[in-house]
Amino acid sequence: MSVVVIGLSHRSAPVELRERFAFPESNIPDALKQLRESGLITEGVVLSTCNRVEIYAATALAPDDQFFARIKKFLVEHHAYDGELGDELYTFAEPHSLEHLFKVAAGLDSMVIGETEIFGQLKKAYDLAFTHQHTGARLNKAFQRAFNVAKQIRTETNIQRGSVSVMSAAVELAEKIFTSLAEHEVLVIGAGETSEKTARALQSRGVKRITVTNRSPERATALAAELGGRAVPFATWPEEFERIDIAVSSTAATTHVLDRATLEPLMRRRKNRPLLLIDIAVPRDIDPAVSELDNVYLYNVDDLKAIADEYLKLRHEELERCNEIIAGKVAAFLKAKRLAEQFR
Amino acid sequence: MVWFTDRHYFLLAVTFYGLSMIYSVFLWRKGFRRDEWVNYILLAGGVAWHTLAMTKRGLTLHSCPVNNLYEATTFLLWALGLATLVYALMPKFKFLTAFTAPVLFTVGIFALMPSLDPPHGPKPEFSGALRSLHAATILQSYGAFALAAVAAAMFLMQQHDLKFHKIRALLSFLPSIQRLEVITTRLTTVGLVLLTIGLVAGAWLPRKDGANYFADAKVIWSALVWLVYLELLVAHRFFERSSRRFATGVVVVFVLLLLTFGITNHFSALHN
Repeated sequence: MSVVVIGLSHRSAPVELRERFAFPESNIPDALKQLRESGLITEGVVLSTCNRVEIYAATALAPDDQFFARIKKFLVEHHAYDGELGDELYTFAEPHSLEHLFKVAAGLDSMVIGETEIFGQLKKAYDLAFTHQHTGARLNKAFQRAFNVAKQIRTETNIQRGSVSVMSAAVELAEKIFTSLAEHEVLVIGAGETSEKTARALQSRGVKRITVTNRSPERATALAAELGGRAVPFATWPEEFERIDIAVSSTAATTHVLDRATLEPLMRRRKNRPLLLIDIAVPRDIDPAVSELDNVYLYNVDDLKAIADEYLKLRHEELERCNEIIAGKVAAFLKAKRLAEQFR
Repeated sequence: MVWFTDRHYFLLAVTFYGLSMIYSVFLWRKGFRRDEWVNYILLAGGVAWHTLAMTKRGLTLHSCPVNNLYEATTFLLWALGLATLVYALMPKFKFLTAFTAPVLFTVGIFALMPSLDPPHGPKPEFSGALRSLHAATILQSYGAFALAAVAAAMFLMQQHDLKFHKIRALLSFLPSIQRLEVITTRLTTVGLVLLTIGLVAGAWLPRKDGANYFADAKVIWSALVWLVYLELLVAHRFFERSSRRFATGVVVVFVLLLLTFGITNHFSALHN
């Protein structure tokens, strides 16, 4: 009995194809039942997310081309797919199937390397199959080991360290300047989607209060209500600078909404408190000259993107260490399997 | 014959500080990315030997070992090392050790120069509780100023990295600049209070007839140090001098203090 994988992911197939092969959660138990009844597999788990659709299976059959061709046929028929299929569907037999499973669990095969959402999704997929009794000794062991390896990689390597999105980079910056965000207020200039996301990211770290301003006061009021903050008129937002310590700006203005001449007298009123300015607007809302002022820390969208990219690069550098851990774990897993088979 | 004197123990302490300094270079190069205990343990080893050296000297003298330039310097370094170990226990402050180790090592090497430690008679010429209080509090105040300078250096590095978008600012396990500023201010304040106590205690000490307290080079220098630190604190607290300028001032003044400490002793009639 060996573990096999067949599927497609963001690496092999475009979203149009991935969505055609996606399994609604309610259909998964039936699909696994059909596969098992076909005699192709004895155990199975279906993982269906926006980035991948994969079937993990244990089979007593030889995992050769013919075997995988039959599973492919099942997939095509199950989804009533009538288009062309090239290399989009990949297949793995042992030991590569186990390596793949461990990598997926650890987020090493994800679009954003090291992300943890896939761990929860894989656990959910396994629980669903387990609840409907589509898993057995082989897959149970393989999945439990995959979850343990993922946890080990998380603790022993830097694969998850740092912010890989613009919003989380902004939050991390704030935490490097201020000791506790709970004591600091945020001003959101422009009630757009990006500034809302950044404000929400800051809110999730417990900022004291969020104030919103926008040219259209209705949108400011609506966003302020959503964030549990308050709205102020666009004409008077500079007055807020005496109280706030973080400003997120994302307006559609074509000229700077904040320049050095405006900020300099405001900074004097702030009595030496640091000010973090996050300018995520294009074209930029904040004059770069303000960063020459003492206690002002200005980051635009490119700066934040550079931070996120740097973290991503660091995660890639950690891949080698992670792969070594996985190779060792797969070898140990297969050795244990061989020993168990000898004593059976 | 005693083979292992208190100076040997201090030499061991300086060796540990040296090892800590070498390790600190690697930490600097790696950008303080991993939160770790190695440097803390090395520094703690140094402080342990240092404590032993001072205890041995103190027991020999039956008084606080602050009677010559060697003893004064080792006392100052000990206060700095111990305070670093305490502060480094705060979250994200372990790398304080990497900033302190070079100071402990270089000044420690300076203190080991034999000319700074002339042999005592059976008992130091100067003794008594008030004199010990005077010397000990002043040296502890220098320890506080030293640690303030270390925190200020950390602040300046982090502030520069954040201002100029260096990724090292985010990758390092260093505290927020706001916290570093608070620590620098508090340590400078503590140093100033200790220096005030030490100077007041010194003013009450008996003097040889004719000796003019206010004409002594060391007294004038200490008063200047006191005034400069007071100015730094007042300007920052009440006149909005920027945090960067305040931190730069704390570092510069401490470096000057360190450079002139021995020289003023040499020209001081009251302290020779």
